[in-house]
Amino acid sequence: MILDRLARAFDDRLRLSPVVRKALAKVFPDHWSFMLGEIALYSFVALVLTGVYLTFFFDPSSADRVYQGSYAPLDGSTTSAAYASTVRLSWDVRGGLMIRQTHHWAALIFVAAIVVHLTRIFFTGAFRRPRELNWLVGVTMLVLALANGFTGYSMPDDLVSGMGLRILVSVTESVPLVGSWLVFLALGGEFPSDEMIPRLFITHVLLVPALLVALISAHLAMIVRQKHSQFPGLGRTEHNVVGSRLYPSYTLRSLALFAWVLAVLFALGGLVQINPVWIYGPFVPAGATAPAQPDWYIGWGDGALRLFPPWEFRIAGHLVPAPFFPGVVLGGVTFLALYAWPFVERWCTGDRRSHHLLDRPRDHPVRLGIGVGVLTFFAILIVAGGDDVIARELRIPIYDLLNTLRVLVLVLPLVTGTLAFLLARALRRGDAARLGELTRADLRAARRQPGEPAPGRAVDEPELPAPHRPGERIELWPDGDRWRWRYHDERADLAILSNREAYTEQEAVDAARLAYPGVDRLVVPGPPPPAPPGRVRTAVRRWGNAAMGVALLVTALRQRRRRKDAGPEDRSSSQ
Amino acid sequence: MSERCERRWHPGRACAFGAVLALAAGPAALAAPATPSPSAGVGTPTTGAPAPAGTHGEELYRQSCASCHGQQGQGTQRGPSLIGVGPASVDFQLSTGRMPIADEKPQSRRTQPLFSADEIAALVDHVASFGGGGPQIPQVAPGNLQAGRELFATNCAPCHGTTGAGASLTNGWTAPPLYDATPVQVAEAIRVGPGLMPVFPSQVLTDQQVDDLATYVRRLRDERLDRGGGSLGRLGPVPEGLVAWIVTLGLLVTAARWLGRRAGQ
Repeated sequence: MILDRLARAFDDRLRLSPVVRKALAKVFPDHWSFMLGEIALYSFVALVLTGVYLTFFFDPSSADRVYQGSYAPLDGSTTSAAYASTVRLSWDVRGGLMIRQTHHWAALIFVAAIVVHLTRIFFTGAFRRPRELNWLVGVTMLVLALANGFTGYSMPDDLVSGMGLRILVSVTESVPLVGSWLVFLALGGEFPSDEMIPRLFITHVLLVPALLVALISAHLAMIVRQKHSQFPGLGRTEHNVVGSRLYPSYTLRSLALFAWVLAVLFALGGLVQINPVWIYGPFVPAGATAPAQPDWYIGWGDGALRLFPPWEFRIAGHLVPAPFFPGVVLGGVTFLALYAWPFVERWCTGDRRSHHLLDRPRDHPVRLGIGVGVLTFFAILIVAGGDDVIARELRIPIYDLLNTLRVLVLVLPLVTGTLAFLLARALRRGDAARLGELTRADLRAARRQPGEPAPGRAVDEPELPAPHRPGERIELWPDGDRWRWRYHDERADLAILSNREAYTEQEAVDAARLAYPGVDRLVVPGPPPPAPPGRVRTAVRRWGNAAMGVALLVTALRQRRRRKDAGPEDRSSSQ
Repeated sequence: MSERCERRWHPGRACAFGAVLALAAGPAALAAPATPSPSAGVGTPTTGAPAPAGTHGEELYRQSCASCHGQQGQGTQRGPSLIGVGPASVDFQLSTGRMPIADEKPQSRRTQPLFSADEIAALVDHVASFGGGGPQIPQVAPGNLQAGRELFATNCAPCHGTTGAGASLTNGWTAPPLYDATPVQVAEAIRVGPGLMPVFPSQVLTDQQVDDLATYVRRLRDERLDRGGGSLGRLGPVPEGLVAWIVTLGLLVTAARWLGRRAGQ
């Protein structure tokens, strides 16, 4: 009741109800893969929540500080304030270690979810017109996520992260002409500079997160504005969105995922150790440790540095040092290619139409092949980044492993890419629904040139539903003083209700024509009866109600009996 | 010998003892284990070595060592000479189970020792009788934890890792994990430098520093360092990344799949 009055008060002043009603009725498509980005979003929320707690205790300074606390091997040692406060946070602050570990796990999951989300977008062609802009925003967020991951990883000033920072500084220095200037600009001095940690800190907690929040808002606003893309299916066209409304079903599902993400991240933060900086010790420029790796999302850069041969040469008298190609050029090319891909693909295929229906990955074998090849390439680079751990675990000489990986990183992407290409072609031309159903004939068909007529469907089928399929119609009916309509496909036993009510019949007709052009319309007398609920669900509901009633009854009886028992004692004690 | 040490060494008591030593009896602690008196002979400092140990040791040596190292420890094509390796080296190799090995390989790994403490002592005596001197078995006293941590970071972490988990070296050699090493074995390894490990004689690391190091290495095997849950082998971002991708993201994607699949109903 209070909420009701509050809502009414706000509505009186701000006139929110039309906007909110429209927003709550917004439809999102249901496929599970559309929730991958939400995992990243909720990891980001977890990162902000835990990160705020950490800033209360972290001291971003490279000034000397004597650690005094319960971690005995460091007690009384002088380290940087950043390191000392991180150890204090982990050992002497209540809940500090769990929050710090949750923050770190959330960072790993944040970037991982972004990458998985990106591969989904890539393989389903969701970056095509009109969503190129959102692709650019997304790739920018990936870059920012990497940057924030690295700055956060480096801030505690422990030995492992200090070595990583040293490597990044060297990679930056390897840029011909401007490298050392860039480093001086960024650090305000030679490598372990006093300004390093404060600058990392402000980048990590203010600049990049603020940018991320702005870009996430833009990302979501664009999804709302452009409407979500969907997979092709019955009743789904380029002009409509079939799925669940924002409220209640999609909100609940999304909140459930939020709860999942928080539960898993905090469980990890409490149960699995990550980055035990107290054992690593403080960073000293002369120190070293092995095995040493960056977090996985930087691992491909480290792996490239490990695999690339030590080639150096001079251009016009300027030395181009060995880290330049694996460190600077590879990263630059990777992200340039990511930014450029929608435009490159549009240029190659000549497809300038807008697409709201997604591809299945198999629909574009070339895109799939390239994507799988590139993913394999980076996966091997990440593996190479962990070569010392792998050599240790498998008990093989590290240089043998390194040379094997050098070959694999060049060969395996070609193999997997070609394989993916051929399988996609086989799937597309044959009539197997999934990978496991492929027959030898399908595989043989995949090897034919694309010019030959394929037995299956045409290569570039227009993405419009076949008009005038028998049994397909739009049904309109008056509902009080409003009009409602639904799409009905009798053959497929499918009915899709419109998400909004219309004020006039004409309005309903227009909306239906927009969503399902060319489908016959029919005014029906009353609301079609809702489908009867399934037998199991009815039984569950009935039993649930009965159980709740019984439980309430039992509780009430118990309570009463207890009161009866306690009654006389109370009286006696009061005497 | 090592067994006796094992029993004596309780982390808590060692800590307290170390602190007391460092604060109250610093100079005494420095002086006490400084020089194992050469007058005790080339044998081990264990006083309980029985008289017929020599003959017992010779017998054991002939059975298990002589085929590779030669009857008089002069070495053969299959194994190096043992003359002058010192009791510390013999004790280290035998008590960590690295010797004897069945077949030649560049680096044998730590296993259960084949011999009992008495048998090892007898073998140490017998090998010492070949002559040549060499480093004695160090006596380890509890040391200073903080100093040990700093010494470890400077001298040991580059190969064994700051976590003591061990790492790969060149040519298939490894720096082994240190979690099973007893303080005496740590001190022996420092003085002897087995395998690729450099030798740290007393001019480089004093006995007090060796004690500090042994104390810290002992502390490293303590699970109390692994605050915050399962330690994933203390191998850093590689297992962490695997857990993130396979366990966590797998779980979350499954959750999303489940939620998305229920949507149609």
